[in-house]
Amino acid sequence: MAENKAKKILLSIKTEIGAPCQMLDDIQNESVLEIQKDHLREIVEFLLHNHQPIHLTTITADSMESDPNQIHIFYNFWKGEGFTLLTKLNQNDLELNSILDLIPGVDFYEREVAEMYGIHFANRENTPSLLLPDDWDQKPPMRSQVKE
Amino acid sequence: MNIINHIFRWAQKNSLWVIHFNSGSCNGCDIEILDTLTPRYDVERLGILVEASPRHADVLLCTGPVTRQARDGLWQIYSQMPSPKWVIAVGSCSNTGGVFYGSDTVLGGVDKVLPVDLYIPGCPCRPEAIINGLVMLRERIYPNGRE
Amino acid sequence: MEKITIPIGPQHPLLKEPLSLRINVSGEQVLGGDLRLGYVHRGIEKLAQTRNYVQNVHLVERICGICSHVHTTAYCHSVERLLGIEIPERAQFIRALLCELERIHSHLLWVGILAKHIGLDTIFMHTWHDREMVLDMMEELSGGRVSHAVNKIGGVRFDLDEKHGPMITKTIQKLHNEVEKLLDIITHEPTIKARTRGVAAITAEEIRQYGVVGPVARASGVDMDMRRDDPLPPYDRLDFSVITQTSGDAWARTVVRVEEVQESINLCEQILKKIPGGATETRARSRVPAGQVTTRAEAPRGELFYYLRSDGTDKPARLKIRTPTLPVLSILTKQLADIQVADIPVVLAGVDLCIACADR
Repeated sequence: MAENKAKKILLSIKTEIGAPCQMLDDIQNESVLEIQKDHLREIVEFLLHNHQPIHLTTITADSMESDPNQIHIFYNFWKGEGFTLLTKLNQNDLELNSILDLIPGVDFYEREVAEMYGIHFANRENTPSLLLPDDWDQKPPMRSQVKE
Repeated sequence: MNIINHIFRWAQKNSLWVIHFNSGSCNGCDIEILDTLTPRYDVERLGILVEASPRHADVLLCTGPVTRQARDGLWQIYSQMPSPKWVIAVGSCSNTGGVFYGSDTVLGGVDKVLPVDLYIPGCPCRPEAIINGLVMLRERIYPNGRE
Repeated sequence: MEKITIPIGPQHPLLKEPLSLRINVSGEQVLGGDLRLGYVHRGIEKLAQTRNYVQNVHLVERICGICSHVHTTAYCHSVERLLGIEIPERAQFIRALLCELERIHSHLLWVGILAKHIGLDTIFMHTWHDREMVLDMMEELSGGRVSHAVNKIGGVRFDLDEKHGPMITKTIQKLHNEVEKLLDIITHEPTIKARTRGVAAITAEEIRQYGVVGPVARASGVDMDMRRDDPLPPYDRLDFSVITQTSGDAWARTVVRVEEVQESINLCEQILKKIPGGATETRARSRVPAGQVTTRAEAPRGELFYYLRSDGTDKPARLKIRTPTLPVLSILTKQLADIQVADIPVVLAGVDLCIACADR
């Protein structure tokens, strides 16, 4: 599947903002740009300003066995083709800036990532439980990856 | 059994009012329960109505595995129903937890929370199986018109 | 007038699924609301990591009973991409046929539920009776009315034989006539128009901000359909229109869905004409090579997103599912503002919620 449209958008981020980032081809069917978490808001604002209409599909979190100290957060977008912004968080610094004021629909996705992986989203009101029961008293369920 | 009890049992058998609660189901069994109301299966000919309020219901039809969040709601519905009342577990998930057994947020089948009178297996169970279950319950309430 | 909060749920007659709403009202005017999900959260993404790829086909099918086939289609497609295999064309067409039949049954189900909430029980009985024709077809093909177990990794479990084609053609022609009558009723019947016109309108801008997908988005004029935009085979070889409306109210959402049923009927006819011969499955290894893939499919309620990561074993390392109801729910509380209390069922039914999908 041709991924030109999506790659063009990601390359424009690289050239116009100049933030440190690199293109990856880890995910089939998706163009991926790895960014630094501090530039997330700037990049999302750039996308909303220059590439509307743009659709945020979801936020996916994943912890890799190859590097258990890191959690990968993917912001999956869609504009004609799928493209993703990837930011990696370290175990001891699980904080991200919320983009709720830029994209109101991100509320549920941030809340789910927060409760399942223990990520803290700054600059928004608390993330109340979305899916986990009110009496959940164990650690974030997706962090302990059990393989039997 | 005296004549009054005969009349009560006969009346209960022939107008079982049902309330349906989904405690974590995928909706498969729920749409098959709703299907029993539609013209092809027409469970109303047996005197069975689906009611909205637990206080009007004789039978609780449970679908889905009991999730931790839904457990209290399930118990509250059951406790609001007036006696005599019966509980039917519809579908594999409410029988045993089904395919979700072992999940941290799922307690298991309905019998982990409530006393179940009838189990209807299936994933999802067909409307014919649900009607068969309701008919079996009717027979248990007032078998063949005598004690 | 004093402001009161009415708690609705988790058991309520409005929906067949548990959902807790707290609605703030002042007299008959709804001021806003809050919702609590999680009653149907079964931890599927976590469970998927403890089961192998084949077991997960059955797990994923039971995320939602109404759109079960499209979940397994997206899942199997993701695994097949990681395995680097392509299923035979005949299997692709059979998958698409079941997808479209599922779309028809889901939309007819929904029209019936909406009619029930408006108070038109007759339409509920008629549409669900017509829906039985679709369930009969699915049962004839796969053996199951609601849960079909059609897909396996590498293809489909069964083949169409020579009696299936004419049977399906005859039944969908009959269904087409019934749906024509239904569309006529919806577009002209004064009660339906009075209860749904202008109710809970959403603008295209709000759709984009909240990331809403599916018929709800298309009813507000946002032209987005994964069957056309990111097609799983064989949709790239089929002709169909994407139905949109512009008013974005409950009436537009109804019309979009009923017209989509007609489009799906056309697609079924095309699939039966174009389906090639050949095998229905190909061999698939149980250990999936390490890799990551995303898949987008068009479920009856909108864009379904799957992210699958494999680490080289026979169990997935990560399965992320984003169902179409989740963004629709996030706009629901906004929709509950500025309506009357009597319109609450129409608003809730109008967006075709599937809490089982949203909670997973």
